[in-house]
Amino acid sequence: MYDLNICHLYPDLLNTYGDRGNILALQKRAQWHSIDTLVTNVTIGDSFDSSLYDIIFLGGGQDYEQEIIQSDVLNQKGTEIKAAIEGMKVFLCICGGYQLMGKYYKTWDGKEIEFLGALDLWTVGGKERMIGNIVFESDIIKAGDNPVRIVGFENHSGRTYLGQGIKPLGRVISGNGNNGEDGFEGAVYKNVYCSYSHGSLLPKNPLLTDHLLSLALKQKYPDFEALGVLDDTFEDAARSSVMQRILKTP
Amino acid sequence: MNFRKVVSIFTAKLAIKVLRILKRGGTTLPGKLAFKVWPGILKSIACNFEIIMVTGTNGKTTTTRIIEEILKNNSVDYITNKSGANLLSGITTIFIQAVTLTGSPRHKVALIESDEAAFNQVTKHLRPKAVVVTNFFRDQLDRYGELYSTLNAVKSGLDRLSGSTALILNADDSMCASLGRETEKQVLYYGMAPDTDTGGKSGAGDINTDAMFCINCKSKYEYTNRVYGHLGGFYCTNCGYGRPAANLECTGIREAGSSFTTIDWVNKPPLSADSQQHVTRINLPGLYNVYNAMAAATCGLALGYGTQSVTDALQSFECGFGRMESITVGDKTIKLILVKNPTGFNQVLSFLTLDNQQLNAAFLINDNLADGTDISWLWDVDFEQLNDSPHKIGNLFASGIRGEDMAVRLKYSGLDTNKIRIIKDYQLLLERGLEQTPAGGCFHILPTYTAMLDIRGILKKKYNLKEFWK
Repeated sequence: MYDLNICHLYPDLLNTYGDRGNILALQKRAQWHSIDTLVTNVTIGDSFDSSLYDIIFLGGGQDYEQEIIQSDVLNQKGTEIKAAIEGMKVFLCICGGYQLMGKYYKTWDGKEIEFLGALDLWTVGGKERMIGNIVFESDIIKAGDNPVRIVGFENHSGRTYLGQGIKPLGRVISGNGNNGEDGFEGAVYKNVYCSYSHGSLLPKNPLLTDHLLSLALKQKYPDFEALGVLDDTFEDAARSSVMQRILKTP
Repeated sequence: MNFRKVVSIFTAKLAIKVLRILKRGGTTLPGKLAFKVWPGILKSIACNFEIIMVTGTNGKTTTTRIIEEILKNNSVDYITNKSGANLLSGITTIFIQAVTLTGSPRHKVALIESDEAAFNQVTKHLRPKAVVVTNFFRDQLDRYGELYSTLNAVKSGLDRLSGSTALILNADDSMCASLGRETEKQVLYYGMAPDTDTGGKSGAGDINTDAMFCINCKSKYEYTNRVYGHLGGFYCTNCGYGRPAANLECTGIREAGSSFTTIDWVNKPPLSADSQQHVTRINLPGLYNVYNAMAAATCGLALGYGTQSVTDALQSFECGFGRMESITVGDKTIKLILVKNPTGFNQVLSFLTLDNQQLNAAFLINDNLADGTDISWLWDVDFEQLNDSPHKIGNLFASGIRGEDMAVRLKYSGLDTNKIRIIKDYQLLLERGLEQTPAGGCFHILPTYTAMLDIRGILKKKYNLKEFWK
């Protein structure tokens, strides 16, 4: 029997757009795959020891809350987060959590806010928000040999750019993605997965959820091979109904 | 004689007539036209009314309707807008209808529900005698933006108003109550008395709660009592900001049913010379409606209406228009309950499981502009609470434009997937839903706003549902 420890970082502050759904998806799918999970909430002032966890999740917050965590994440937990990333720990970072992994956030009026710098990426604030359904294709997550189409919802004014050594999570088919310019969405570095997609991201994209669970299991159990197959009728229906509407294809 | 004023009113009135002849109940266009002709129109005609305004995230419509009931009980000559017409243009249309061609008022009082995002704009033109602010919860972030922007917009709107406006605020909402600080206006608070047993917990809020951090100093709030969401006896140990004392309080929940709540409540000076105790059966279920009732009662008493007329309104009030609207079909009942955001949805789920009856329900989720195009909020709704009494869960249907997403949400709450069905066709949904509801039972339909309009249209044709406050 395998088990996984999931850490929800700043759940009381980075929780704006139904991000809790990602935790539920990891928990439920693990349960359906007969894997035990334990979710631990770690927030401001709490000590953070990454060796206790197999998957670490960071969601998105509103500006007010993101300001509150700024110093805690940089000064208290930053070193540990960076070490965990280099040590191949599995991370999922959405929206604000994604931006936070980068080097800085430059507001539209030129103020530069220092971020964690764990990943070589940066964000520039825009005046217009990019809001709407998004469909992107990822060749990192595959169904057999085929790239997988991922659907979500984006709502961000920051435009994120990827530096050397950071791969995008996918190519935008419909929507804006990282910055609305280069056609990329999200970022992948080692076992860190970042995306602007909430909605929530994982429940409707079970292959991505299983991919993250598998990565974590491989890290923890050398004998782990692969997850079994689950009935994804509802998830598939939800994903294809969005794709049909957005891409106007049958 | 202001020529543009007359032309403005005439144009809008003509538009109202034409739209009526075309059987299009448009409430936006006439107001827009009136503004185009003369931007000063609303200010000029509204100043002759005694205006009551209601704004906030949740409970605007219900609170407005209860205040309306109080006005009716006092035979007040009033006008009021429908919740679908709560933006600047819709509000303008209502006033145009209520004046003569020269702009003289044909009624005394105007009871106006205002969208919280439009409030700042609306108060450029209106001088209300009283403003009720219900609460602030996260709602349709794609439309309203972040919660604090909404709060700040309402604050700017209030700052425009003179000291003679009375503010009626929710004492238990740290954001709403903050509007009463540093103001020369008369402020009246309503809330849940801290020792009232509402089944909530003490201590800090749940991790997914709004406004957990002090609006002044960003420290985490503590609570003497929590009612739901971030509502309750909040206080900041760092800067001392805390729940203000309330002038009207619910002091006890005697009985909470799935269609009513009986409460003890008290009103204190300046709402009455001495404290007065009451026991009232509110004709609506759920703690959120206790708040709506308190908001309306505070407003009624503040405006000088008699206590009896207020308690009568709370007891007899029927909301309709998708807010706890009942339709009898043979020996079964269909109940329509609008859902808009996590807090409201949670409240509905918690009173639906109060009864010992089996829960048969359909969730109709649309993502049109008026619903919010982002449905990620479904993941902030605590469907997990349905697992507390699995034997009570009957058939659950997922429908609406995002019915499939709704089914996924229910699945991940841990409910048995055999009980979840996706039916997108509303006729078929009604048929199956009623079929599988036991005799004497209730089929609950929980739609988002535009889904409510659609299903209500079908129900109206099928069962002769009456039109509410047209």
